[in-house]
Amino acid sequence: MRAAVSALLLCLLGLSADRLPARAEARASALSGRISSVEEGPMEGVLVSARREGSPITVTVVTDADGRYRFPAGRLSAGRYTLGVRAVGYELAAPRTAEVAAATTVVSDLRLRRVSDLAAQLTSTEWLMSMPGTAEQKRPLIECMSCHTLERALRSHYDADTMFRALQRMPQYANNTTVQRVQKRIADRHVNEEQLRRTAEYLASVNLGHGAWPFELKTLPRPKGRATRVIITEYDLPRATIAPHDVRTDAQGFVWYSSFVENFLGRLDPRTGAHVEFAYPRVKPGSPTGSLALELDEDGNFWLATMFQSGLMRFDTKTLTFRHFPVPAALDSDAMQQSLVMPGRAHVDGKVWTNDVNRGAILRLDVASGNYELFDPFVGRKGTQHSPYGLAADAQNNLYFMDFAGESIGRVDAKTGRSVIYPTPTPRSRPRRTMMDAQGRVWFAEFAANKVAMFDPAREAFREWEVPTPHTYPYDVFLDRYGELWSGSMSSDRVLRFDPQSGAAIEYLLPRQTNIRRIFVDDATRPPAIWIGSNHGASIIRLEPAD
Amino acid sequence: MQRRLRHTALIILLLAPGSVSAVLAGGSFDDDDHGDQLSYFGFVRDARGIGVGDAKVTGEVKDGASVVTRTDVLGVYRLPGFSKDTDPTKVTISCAKDGYRQTGILQRTTPGPDVKAFEVECRMQRM
Repeated sequence: MRAAVSALLLCLLGLSADRLPARAEARASALSGRISSVEEGPMEGVLVSARREGSPITVTVVTDADGRYRFPAGRLSAGRYTLGVRAVGYELAAPRTAEVAAATTVVSDLRLRRVSDLAAQLTSTEWLMSMPGTAEQKRPLIECMSCHTLERALRSHYDADTMFRALQRMPQYANNTTVQRVQKRIADRHVNEEQLRRTAEYLASVNLGHGAWPFELKTLPRPKGRATRVIITEYDLPRATIAPHDVRTDAQGFVWYSSFVENFLGRLDPRTGAHVEFAYPRVKPGSPTGSLALELDEDGNFWLATMFQSGLMRFDTKTLTFRHFPVPAALDSDAMQQSLVMPGRAHVDGKVWTNDVNRGAILRLDVASGNYELFDPFVGRKGTQHSPYGLAADAQNNLYFMDFAGESIGRVDAKTGRSVIYPTPTPRSRPRRTMMDAQGRVWFAEFAANKVAMFDPAREAFREWEVPTPHTYPYDVFLDRYGELWSGSMSSDRVLRFDPQSGAAIEYLLPRQTNIRRIFVDDATRPPAIWIGSNHGASIIRLEPAD
Repeated sequence: MQRRLRHTALIILLLAPGSVSAVLAGGSFDDDDHGDQLSYFGFVRDARGIGVGDAKVTGEVKDGASVVTRTDVLGVYRLPGFSKDTDPTKVTISCAKDGYRQTGILQRTTPGPDVKAFEVECRMQRM
């Protein structure tokens, strides 16, 4: 199969991005200064970003309690940088640049002024906090964020009828749609029009249809304390249409990602900025393109769940070639969708797990023969809403799956095929992505419950923890080897760091609007480095806490 | 008895189907409308009628999947997510906990066409 279609060297810029942990770096600064405003004086928790002219790499630090920021020496090479800030309610009083010179600390104090259009800075979380209405009225809106922020709906002037017609279109778009790359489904989806009408009436009551928002805009507080001690590096990808979904690093230091709307596997070298796209063919012409889950097998090969393109792709990291495992015609349809894949324990029995969102079922691939088996883990529960989603496998390759349309997780026995369903303590929780730790415990995000959770198979028991910010809707979790849990979401532009033992939580704000899906922790260093994709922003982000 | 009724009323409230939400954009699900499903709920109690916390409760559909949960500190459990077409007589409820043995099952709800939530009490005794 053809590989390596394009290679784009993004620029070296002298940024040696493969770094020691932030705390280990010398105190010398390349660029520093103080941020203040008339309203607040020195300002804590302001994100300051520096981007060298012509570079696709942006480095961001955060001001401390005295309003001071500093870019450590070595993080910025010599050159002319454009500076930017993120502080909700504020903007730079004037555009600013800084000339960074080798072995010299450049000082640049920045003044902020009140922003005239606060709404343009709101996250979807802040819109949901601001809007009047019940939890049940707001609940359907969490689906909007798959493709765009809530600002789009709230800035509309539609009355209820026009909004209803707009909402009728939405389910006919593929899951792997972004504003930059709209994809339609081939198979129509059934819509409950009564529910849609209620949502349209609600949205038309809170949008600009009456000339102004009938509510006050509320904002989240800026970062404080430990949440300010972080360095964030953002690598822009070469096209705005690229929608990185799952991101992970390998032992060689490369960053790999699945592309949600295009048929390729991406690889970024953060040391050099080199970006490569390994393309695979469009095996179902006319169907939406792109893949969702990216997982590693025990041989170091990557597996992609190819969504509407039928089945799974395995990428051999030695030969840099793909092998496609199509779902047989008898099981295939225009609506079929493989969003997740779990090859992590394929050595046990030669089997790789995946799902079919359309059937609400599990599929298992026999790698040697290419055959798929179909499992309905909800036998006796037909007619209810289920959708196996996040997947994890234990040491015997038994499957644990998240019922994303429901309120359970489940287990499929690898030998007998029998399933056990475990309802989460919180109803209507919609468990989403998951990971299994070294002790065999299943950690997962309860998307609709605003919680993160752990299931202990040994005890068949759950623990749940509410995330600190309402309307976060966590997408995924990752437990690092030091016992801290990391999570991100599509709505709050924040990365959560959570200690399940103490309950302590830190939320790191990101420099730009960031629709986060899979979260990956490279915990070879302590503190670890967190890697995410900006699904709507065409960038890869590394977050390095300083402690 | 009054306490038991109060608890039963409370868990019926907790299990009442919420209003439904609509499918909108390209999210990876079709709906989270669970209004039509059947559920089982109730207490696990010891011989004195005291609720047994952290007991494992299994609902097994003949030839189908098992549903497993644990009781809360009051001994209350809930098993949601059964199809509305499920024959309630084909669902077997059982309970287990280290140091206890199951002594009986009490069907507190009579099946009927409009019944969606079935209260089933599981009795246990210390060994």
